[in-house]
Amino acid sequence: MSSPDKERLTWIYTQMLRIREFEERVKRTFEEHPGVIRGHTHLADGAEASIVGSLAAIGPDDYLLTTYRCHGYPLVRGTDAKAMMAEIYGRATGLCGGYGGSMHLVDPGRGFLGTSGIVAQGIPHATGAAYAAQIEGKGRVVLSFFGDGASKQGAFHESLNIASLWKLPIVFVMENNSYNVVTRVEQEDANAAAGEPLAVKAQAYSMPSLTVDGGDPLAVLDAVGAAVERARSGGGPTLVESRVYRLSAHGNIIAPPGIPLHFPEHEAITVFGNAEEYEAAKRGDPVPRFRAHLVTEGALTADEADAIADSVRDEMQEAVTFGLESPFPPAEAAVEHVYA
Amino acid sequence: MAHELPYIAAIEEAIREEMERDPSVLYFGQNIATHENDPFLQAFGPDRVRVTPISETAEIGMAVGAAFAGYRPVVELYMAEFMLVAMDQVVNEAPRFHYMSAGQVKVPIVLKAGYGFTAGWAGQHTGSIYGMFMGVPGLKVAVPATAADAKGLMTAAIRDDNPVVFFHHYLLTLEHGDVPDGEYVLPLGQANVVREGSDVTVVAIGFMLGKALAAAEQLAGQGIACEVIDPRTLAPLDTATIIRSVEKTGRLVIVDQSTRHGSAAAVIAAEVASDGFAALKAPVKLVTALDATIPYSQPMEEYLLPDEAKIVAAVHEVAAAVPA
Amino acid sequence: MWRIRAFEERVGELTRADEVHGLVHLSVGQEGVAAGVCGSLRDDDAVYSNHRAHGHAIAKGAPLDGLMAELMGRDGGVCRGLGGSMHLVDAAHGFLGATGVVGGNVPLALGSALAARLAGSDAVAVVFFGDGAVQSGIFVESVNLAALWGLPLVLVCENNGFAEFTPRSAHTNVERVSDVVAPYGLARETVDGNDVLAVRDAFAPFLAAARSGEGPFLLECLTHRLRGHYEGDPAHYREALAAEEWQRLDPILRLQRTLGVDGVDEETAARADVEAAVAAARESPFPDTRLTRSLVYA
Repeated sequence: MSSPDKERLTWIYTQMLRIREFEERVKRTFEEHPGVIRGHTHLADGAEASIVGSLAAIGPDDYLLTTYRCHGYPLVRGTDAKAMMAEIYGRATGLCGGYGGSMHLVDPGRGFLGTSGIVAQGIPHATGAAYAAQIEGKGRVVLSFFGDGASKQGAFHESLNIASLWKLPIVFVMENNSYNVVTRVEQEDANAAAGEPLAVKAQAYSMPSLTVDGGDPLAVLDAVGAAVERARSGGGPTLVESRVYRLSAHGNIIAPPGIPLHFPEHEAITVFGNAEEYEAAKRGDPVPRFRAHLVTEGALTADEADAIADSVRDEMQEAVTFGLESPFPPAEAAVEHVYA
Repeated sequence: MAHELPYIAAIEEAIREEMERDPSVLYFGQNIATHENDPFLQAFGPDRVRVTPISETAEIGMAVGAAFAGYRPVVELYMAEFMLVAMDQVVNEAPRFHYMSAGQVKVPIVLKAGYGFTAGWAGQHTGSIYGMFMGVPGLKVAVPATAADAKGLMTAAIRDDNPVVFFHHYLLTLEHGDVPDGEYVLPLGQANVVREGSDVTVVAIGFMLGKALAAAEQLAGQGIACEVIDPRTLAPLDTATIIRSVEKTGRLVIVDQSTRHGSAAAVIAAEVASDGFAALKAPVKLVTALDATIPYSQPMEEYLLPDEAKIVAAVHEVAAAVPA
Repeated sequence: MWRIRAFEERVGELTRADEVHGLVHLSVGQEGVAAGVCGSLRDDDAVYSNHRAHGHAIAKGAPLDGLMAELMGRDGGVCRGLGGSMHLVDAAHGFLGATGVVGGNVPLALGSALAARLAGSDAVAVVFFGDGAVQSGIFVESVNLAALWGLPLVLVCENNGFAEFTPRSAHTNVERVSDVVAPYGLARETVDGNDVLAVRDAFAPFLAAARSGEGPFLLECLTHRLRGHYEGDPAHYREALAAEEWQRLDPILRLQRTLGVDGVDEETAARADVEAAVAAARESPFPDTRLTRSLVYA
């Protein structure tokens, strides 16, 4: 296991807190400002360690593509939280001018090339970016993030096969949170049903793979870091299965206009009646877990950790205020950007 | 001046010249460049020219991702129906990102696919499904009918910063035509008045152009002067040229090898009915395939499809109509 | 096998003479797989095939007359001329069809297997596909689901090392199809597809288990496509097999050597049956064009 220095550890913790606070503020917007967020938003609270640990393994020139559960990644890459919140609120000052919304954030200048709202369809995009990186020859690596649900899609199979065959500089990071909306992974996955880790699927492509505790950012950093090294040195792709637990429901409720949107309880409780599983996950929450680790190891004092939390709260409050105060785009803007 | 080439060679020439001109152009897909003597492989090497497995979702998706990263892929899909396997990537991914990102990314890809192989290739390989891709915002659709147009439109498609579906008709593969020498770019969205006439406007798509021209020749002998228009691109669609012609003739026949509903012909008819109604002296007549999957057996296959006789009959019908 | 061989060779001739029209894919050289598998099946077992379907249809019991007439586009064809080579169906014999887009047949077979289970029947489903289909997304989606639900399905892969005009190495770096499905835990076997008895013997335990409701299974048959991808393909992309090498591999010659017979009677009978089929097909009229309207909807 690598041992990052205090500055690095502090950075990792700060990013985890920023993601948590941002997602909390998105969720609270439904209660505090009903009607501001429309459609469907998906939160990554619970996956912070996996997101930050993965992104800590790459550099500013590397690429990443994600699913529609995309808020955490650009925050870590340095995208302005104000612009992100404004995008989720549909404002002209949003990251994508209000055109994309929660599921379609992008920041190409920071290597975040995009998302897809369709499960698994971003995996081929990432594979193509890795093909570009390979022939460009500048040593760029691509991280492709997706969930366990995506691993049943043909796009997953086709992309991993090609990436392995062409030895593309890509790391496939599967964030396995054991749920696909209201379905548990054992209900839909032959490997999970047999009690096997999903990482075994990589054998079909002669691709190395491993499973890692996605609640431990340093373990994720080690695992993804090794895979990034392999990719960068021309050794081809790796499938990293990162076990995480999302602490929110899949997304806010889906309802026609007129019915207030909100976040229901987690499916473990509402569908499977398994409150115990959820409670255990909350007890294992990676954010306070990492804080405790840093404080007990002496990397951070409790006061320093609190100060970080305060500053993060202020940052995200600013983001919310900015979003609420920003204007909507003019309606006629809807017909721009159809063609490049 | 010009050099004579078969239709398919004109397309390949365009791809090759663009790859020479612009190192960011890539060419990949199934069954290409698998032997070391392949001309594309020899000219551009295994980085820019690659064979893929049977993985249309990944092929088209990879094109999108490589485009995000600054490249301009041309994907060889062979047959239009194979794109259906990856409909999400074609309709729901490639054309949407430029818009959803408010212009931050662009997807300059070309999806090249043959279509309409109505020569016994049977139900799943013979569709003329270009109509499905019209009206997808952000997606352009080219349907060249001649070698020269094929060259010019492929060049334009590669240079276009948007995703372009480039459909080439299989029965035109070996049709020779004069292709202008040197750099030749035919802008997308420009229809071509192939034959002038003042009595009836005949819009013919792709392979139907040849049949429409033959019908026009026959009709000229019967005293009816047809103006034959080749739209060349279905999205963007040059309705202005078509309406200008209908303002001259007052009568419109549209010839389309696809089935009727959801067809390019239906879209063109609606545009003219909407914006050119005052000029019409007769109802718009559509000559399309009958509504059935293309059958294998030859007489049945021929029965379903538009031919010269059906076009001539349709022209007579609109020519004879007396305005109310 | 002789019936398949005789049929395919005759179809090749008829294609070149343009009596069989359009695109055909012949299975000369792969007869061992079709015969070794289908010989043990019943009419109520569902078999699906791909674009290279003639051999599977014949082995499943589809009549030569009906198949030849179909390839000639006649009304006497199994699909009355509507389907053609890549879309053969003979429901009475459980040959539920050939399909033209690679991989499209695999989920169909899942449906038949599921139906058998729901009906409480011991019928099984078998799907034939080539090594090229394995890299297609549809394949792994189907394998996961079949394995998850334990469907009575046997996946039979004719691994002839080529997908259209490219060798397997251009498609994947996993040589054996059995290794591609390994992560899904299905029982699987790789066998010499040109040894029809070995195919039959490897298939038998899978069939027995499937009949008692278990599954899925993968039978990978290593074989060789003697002709090009389609009839008329000059096949510049691979080296032609030397005649002596083919003598060694030919499934028909091998069986004859094993059994110590010369096969002349079987060959003669097969060629006679095929000629009779050709004659009957030539007599069969082209279908009435109204058929194209009447069969669009059920």
